[in-house]
Amino acid sequence: MARVLTTCIYCGCGCGLYLETEDGMVVGSYPSRNHPVSKGALCVKGWNAYEFVNMLDRLNAPLIKSNGGFKEVGWDKALDVVSKRLLEIKEKYGPDALGFLSSAKTTNEENFLMMKLARAVFKTNNVDHCARLCHAPTVVGLAATFGSGAMTNTISEFEDADLFLVTGSDTTEQHPLIGSRIINAVNDRGARLIVVDPRKIELAKYATIYMAQDNGTDVAWINGMMNVIIKEGLYAQKYIEERTENFEELKRAVEQYTPEYVQKITKIPCNLLIQAARLYAKTKKAMIVYSMGITQHTTGVDNVKSLANLAMLTAHVGFASTGVNPLRGQNNVQGACDIGALPDVFSGYQKVTDDAVRAKFERKWEVENLPAKPGLTVTEIFKKAREGKLKGLYIMGENPVISDPDANHVRQALEKLEFFVIQEIFLSDTAQYADVILPAASFAEKDGTFTNTERRVERIRKAIEPVGEAKADWEILSEIARRCGYKGMDYSDPSQIMDEIVQLTPIYGGMNYERLDPFGLQWPCPSKDHPGTVYLHKDKFAKGKGTFMPCVYVAADELPDDEYNFVLSTGRVYWHWHTGTMTRRTSTLNREVPTGFVEINPKDAEKLNIKKGSRVKIASRRGEIETKALVTEKVKEGSVFVPFHFSEAAANVLTNPAVDPVAKIPEYKVCAVKIEKVTS
Amino acid sequence: MKERLLKKDDVKDLCTKASEQWETYVPLEDIGRDTHFIKLNGKNKRLLLDRLNLDYESLLVPPKVIAFPQLESLFKFQDGKIIETFKPSVKRLLFGLRACDVKGILFMDDFYKRNFEDIYYLNRSMDKLLVIVGCKSPHENCFCTSTKTGPFLPLPGSPERAKFAEFDLQLVDVGNEYVVEIGSKKGEEFISSYSKFFDDASKDDIEHKKQAKRQAEEAVSLKLEFEKAVKKFCEDKVSRRMYERIAERCIYCGGCLYVCPTCSCFNVFDERKSSLGRRCRNWDACVFDGYTREASDNNPRFEKWNRTSRRYEHKLKYDYLVTGMSGCVGCGRCLSSCPVNIGISQVIEEVTKA
Repeated sequence: MARVLTTCIYCGCGCGLYLETEDGMVVGSYPSRNHPVSKGALCVKGWNAYEFVNMLDRLNAPLIKSNGGFKEVGWDKALDVVSKRLLEIKEKYGPDALGFLSSAKTTNEENFLMMKLARAVFKTNNVDHCARLCHAPTVVGLAATFGSGAMTNTISEFEDADLFLVTGSDTTEQHPLIGSRIINAVNDRGARLIVVDPRKIELAKYATIYMAQDNGTDVAWINGMMNVIIKEGLYAQKYIEERTENFEELKRAVEQYTPEYVQKITKIPCNLLIQAARLYAKTKKAMIVYSMGITQHTTGVDNVKSLANLAMLTAHVGFASTGVNPLRGQNNVQGACDIGALPDVFSGYQKVTDDAVRAKFERKWEVENLPAKPGLTVTEIFKKAREGKLKGLYIMGENPVISDPDANHVRQALEKLEFFVIQEIFLSDTAQYADVILPAASFAEKDGTFTNTERRVERIRKAIEPVGEAKADWEILSEIARRCGYKGMDYSDPSQIMDEIVQLTPIYGGMNYERLDPFGLQWPCPSKDHPGTVYLHKDKFAKGKGTFMPCVYVAADELPDDEYNFVLSTGRVYWHWHTGTMTRRTSTLNREVPTGFVEINPKDAEKLNIKKGSRVKIASRRGEIETKALVTEKVKEGSVFVPFHFSEAAANVLTNPAVDPVAKIPEYKVCAVKIEKVTS
Repeated sequence: MKERLLKKDDVKDLCTKASEQWETYVPLEDIGRDTHFIKLNGKNKRLLLDRLNLDYESLLVPPKVIAFPQLESLFKFQDGKIIETFKPSVKRLLFGLRACDVKGILFMDDFYKRNFEDIYYLNRSMDKLLVIVGCKSPHENCFCTSTKTGPFLPLPGSPERAKFAEFDLQLVDVGNEYVVEIGSKKGEEFISSYSKFFDDASKDDIEHKKQAKRQAEEAVSLKLEFEKAVKKFCEDKVSRRMYERIAERCIYCGGCLYVCPTCSCFNVFDERKSSLGRRCRNWDACVFDGYTREASDNNPRFEKWNRTSRRYEHKLKYDYLVTGMSGCVGCGRCLSSCPVNIGISQVIEEVTKA
């Protein structure tokens, strides 16, 4: 038996855990006692992170589509086919006929190589990943207002905060080791909690003030809070004068959002809004905590900017235990963004449109003519593929057939491709469509780094050899580059890739594997003697002055009408992870919630003669699913909630692909559906 | 049996030598500054032993994992035939255990042969030598003096000797040496086999030993009325409201059960790929809905507080009624691993105050 310290594969908390191994099998996972996030504890997913790694149905040899099925081939053959077909498409249709989807589940090093492959070898900026579907508005919105699109503060600072404003984050379910800190703060030292969420989430029962807004009305209630704060003179005048700009415009913009007006839009009672505004403005150590409930809207960027405005208005940025704290979903979604698996930036958010930046990367990579035009986003890649304009797709560890909106259209897009290659650990619903499937090593089988939600770059360490013939994603990507005739992607170890990242990426500039032991460093960490940064915007904002960017309330893209008379929102449950490829193979987790369901309010259920466990059909304008009913007060009347983990009741068959105009994130949190009981 | 003396400087040599005959497990500190029991094997045992840490506070995961790993492949099957994958049982030396963990190990050994013999567990657990190194700096959540499970176990023949407290050797830190107490014939034989490492203990050494034991006991600061709590549990004088409060706060990670030295529950599942399959078992936890949910979807313990109560009643009532000993060893791990700061020590405090 041996134990290896590594980082959890599930959420952005980035807990430190040990994998125990015996005879080449992973036989246990345990928390690290000294890790700053886990501190001896894990959530149920972390405690059970060992199981899926060993599954007999792991992909263990390269597969090529043949006669409607797949046949095993050797690595040489598979890699030759992939490189040849990708080059052919590039030659025939141009570089931008190719798309590359990187992965927030893989390491920084692997994301770096994916974007390097797309840009340096295939000369396209069509590289993106699932951050598009979760926190793209955060990256855009916080960069515009503060100058840095990341969580401003640190998880351990939750232990000292006196107030939490939690909105659009089911924290105990999705970031359990942050949720637990909020529970402890409220229960054990009397910290206050404001929860703003249409669903009565677990944290609502601890809330000092709970406000259930209608889905998609966030700009309105945030503007409403600012209206109260300004009217009552509770804003931080000196801070605003010294550290921010554009306050007058904000003042004008929120003037009309009186509590009465906001109540009409959001259904939040005036008195609650006023109380919440006063409490937040008057508490010094107050942290805003948000997640998908804020970002997954056609107004995602506006929602984020509005929260940033609120925090600046009350001097809640640039100090310990304050800030605007987006909780990043995937284990490495922060890293995949940092490292430039995005269509408009290289690593460290350096813009592809900047000539000097491109020149720097060209020199280091020894290539010419890196593309200057920003590429396509995830949502645009599938749109173009469906239109037949994008011909070749390379996916690393993503499962868009289940995770992306309007799943039927995603399937059509995949069918239309001339060539589709995927690196995966299991034969996912998406992999079924691939021409070539390359078996990848799991997180237990390789070295690298993940960056957690608090910007902590931390090591993952190899515990066992890859199963069968599987290879680490970084090795596969290097092989493809080599076969395409590019010599600049030969590495013997992921630490060499990190060294390259460090040279090109100022925010990671002081890091190396040695310094990352044992529990990592938080960026920005610009030099070898820099200790890392616990909270951002100390003394001044990253962009100089913080900019107020007032927003106007705009309704969601698709609201209920006479026919589709319910609002659907989607999300996750505590026991499962995203498309379930790992958690549905984990016996303890899958036993707890073995299949999909729809949450429906008891009053609505009664009207429709639906009982607990009834089979129901849910339909939107895009498709329909059948699932079982869970009758609960958690959802409001007129609303339903469906988790998106389950392919047999795939929420994303229903969701609306309408996107935020800037961040291109789809509106997973609001669409119109109708419901009926299935009578057999 | 007379005490012996073992120089601290000789411990690594002793472990290295013993590992030729025994599958030897020792507490090693890793890069994350956590200590785990790790098998001493491979060519570079001395390099591993550079990380030996006998002064650890408490191990986050109890040594039950050696005989009861979190995940265990029991056997394989192919085309309807079972393929046994048993490994031959070996002699195991567990060097550097804490007294409380010895109770945990013996409790588990007893459970796994009480009503039926679990061959998989027993195969990993049968032949072993338990060497305690007494605890000097207990973790703040520990309360072994209240449960009478540490920091040292009484010698054979002592009136305080209780069930599940048999050890082979017990080492007491007296500075540059350990005074070695012999708890069994097996322990004595071990010393004779490696006699060059052991000297006789002088009168002074014995005096130092007594002093060290007293100091160690005093270092355990958390004191609880443990016996009173067990009595209250046995008389069903525990309020439902307390369970409800715990159940409300709990985030259902399972951690308190996973790290409990006497939690023995497992789930069994098969995984397969075409005609090839594997039967596995893994740690289970009674706080989960799926633990008692029936095929009909009915759960006789569907309310969370009902599942919470079972956990505490099992440890502090059922185990006591069945074995004469409670299932709590006073290690404090449940509190140490709880994300929302719930521990059995608080339950005991609340019940005894009421």
